[in-house]
Amino acid sequence: MTGYIIRRLIAVPFMLLGISVMLFLLLYIRPGSAAFAATASIGDADPESFKRFEERFGLDRPWYVQYGDWLWSAVRGDFGETLTPPQDPVTGQLMERLPNTLQIGLLTIVLAAVFGISVGVLSAVRRNSIMDYILRGIAIAGLSIPNFWLAILIVTLPAIWWQWTPFATDWYSFTDDPIKNLAIIIWPAITLALASAAGTARLVRTSMLEVFFSDYVRTARAKGLRERRVIWGHVFRNSLIPVITLIGLQTGAVLGGVVIAEVIFGIPGLGRLTFDAVIAQDYPLVLGSIMLFSLVFIAVTLIVDILYTVVDPRIGY
Amino acid sequence: MAEQQTQAAEAPSSEEVLALEYAIPPKRRFNPFAWIRSEPYGAFGLILILMVSFGAAAAPILNTADPQEFGVGGSLESPNADHWFGTGPRGKDLWSRVLFGGRVSLKIGVATVLIGTLAGTVVALLAAYAGGVVDFIVGRIADMVIAIPGILLALTLYSAIGQDLPDTPILSRQEFTLVLAISAFFMPGTYRIMRGMVLELRESQFVESAQVVGASNFRIMWRHIAPNMFGLMIVITSISLPAAILTEASLSFLGLGVEPGTPSWGADLSGTSRQFFVRAPWLAIFPGLALSITVFGFNIFGDSLRDTLDPRLRGRI
Repeated sequence: MTGYIIRRLIAVPFMLLGISVMLFLLLYIRPGSAAFAATASIGDADPESFKRFEERFGLDRPWYVQYGDWLWSAVRGDFGETLTPPQDPVTGQLMERLPNTLQIGLLTIVLAAVFGISVGVLSAVRRNSIMDYILRGIAIAGLSIPNFWLAILIVTLPAIWWQWTPFATDWYSFTDDPIKNLAIIIWPAITLALASAAGTARLVRTSMLEVFFSDYVRTARAKGLRERRVIWGHVFRNSLIPVITLIGLQTGAVLGGVVIAEVIFGIPGLGRLTFDAVIAQDYPLVLGSIMLFSLVFIAVTLIVDILYTVVDPRIGY
Repeated sequence: MAEQQTQAAEAPSSEEVLALEYAIPPKRRFNPFAWIRSEPYGAFGLILILMVSFGAAAAPILNTADPQEFGVGGSLESPNADHWFGTGPRGKDLWSRVLFGGRVSLKIGVATVLIGTLAGTVVALLAAYAGGVVDFIVGRIADMVIAIPGILLALTLYSAIGQDLPDTPILSRQEFTLVLAISAFFMPGTYRIMRGMVLELRESQFVESAQVVGASNFRIMWRHIAPNMFGLMIVITSISLPAAILTEASLSFLGLGVEPGTPSWGADLSGTSRQFFVRAPWLAIFPGLALSITVFGFNIFGDSLRDTLDPRLRGRI
């Protein structure tokens, strides 16, 4: 087990290295465009300043030199400077935005797991009842509603009905004011959690039904266990494995959805930062933030794999 | 005499026994009514898909106005007899735009999934059959691509390859870029599932006997392994299609993809029209509703197709 975790941890830097090479090649595939975009955004598009800009940021060198340079600083935690003014250090910007995005992500996953699992269990226990059919219908609908549309409706409809909207015009971080902060991030979290919760609910239902008719559940009933004990101790616990896999996989979707949710709800997070950076073609910032997103994803996947052994002691790596 | 005859009829010869043993069961004719009875959800999904496809295909006949023309109605008219879904801020007819928007979604969705699934399958076939180092490297690359959140990967790819592609007869340059950017996100997932299938098939007896007879590697892959992957490919395609349509809409919503002004469900929900949603909620509701119905139809149809073709996959994809 420890050996497995160590092996997985050793693989992480190699994965990040591979991802950085891939992204770097992708972003620098057309040399000069970064400088072009940046100078154009300053409103200064003559070839002379273009060239000065390239020289200043070393964009005129071959890509492998630039990459080596970037990598050498990145290893020490310095992701360079943004191309767009005011040329802040990328690392500082990322660290400033990261907590907000992590908050939303965490809240989303917790909401999705709590609602998904409870709806799934309810559906499985009362299978083929009217409630089961209604809950399953809601779950499929939840999977089909695009998160950005839901976000738009959440921002728009209350404004029509009550002249109030959850769009965040003023931002409060958790350390400023936890209550106001929670009142802001709950909306993007609900938006993103709907699809994940729906997927989880469906999977909990099917995997619980698979276990319901197994021999050991019949044994548990035969030896006189209470139904409650049978459901939670035997059925639920054994149906958790695929559910944990799914929650791990959904992290990817949630991290992607954060981009859209932050744009619509006006939250200063990593997602909006990345989106703005891509639009502005601010390559050091794009590179840094996507690396950070990937790191979060890799960390979550690792945690999920370790969780397996907790839920199912039969799995030992 | 009569007794002898019946006896002869009762005891079949050894050839007849063999014929019975290896008889190919008579092909059952596909009975649509039986299918609807056994898969009511799938049938409902199919009806929705057909409706949406019909609307998109017959858009030039069903529309009431040119979707791109300004001022066919007043500004921000609510739904009425002339403009069934109302009009936009500059008097564009929303009903016509929703109809034509379906074309973009379906076209890009289908193209994305076809390219993504096909490429993922071919890579899986080649890499898993080759095994060893190739398989290992491709597997790690897939891990890396999966670690980058889909939307961000597509955003980055889109901005990197944006200007370099030609216009094609079916897809415009932007649409083609979008297709490639989104399909990159479906490849690693398809690859992972398909790889397992290829490894399983590679060890099967019919592949072994083909090798013994001296069939070339290409022939084994093409004639013996590939046909067996077809069912799984259809299932993966149908399951990925709604996700592809949603991703396309999300990216159009973020302002990538179709040219400005082109009707598209995602694009119509974004940009300048967003500031009118509170005054004219129909602008927010109809394109989103059309998108949700389409995705819903594909979701339930894909699920029932999966259960019919390959029930083992339930819970896996």
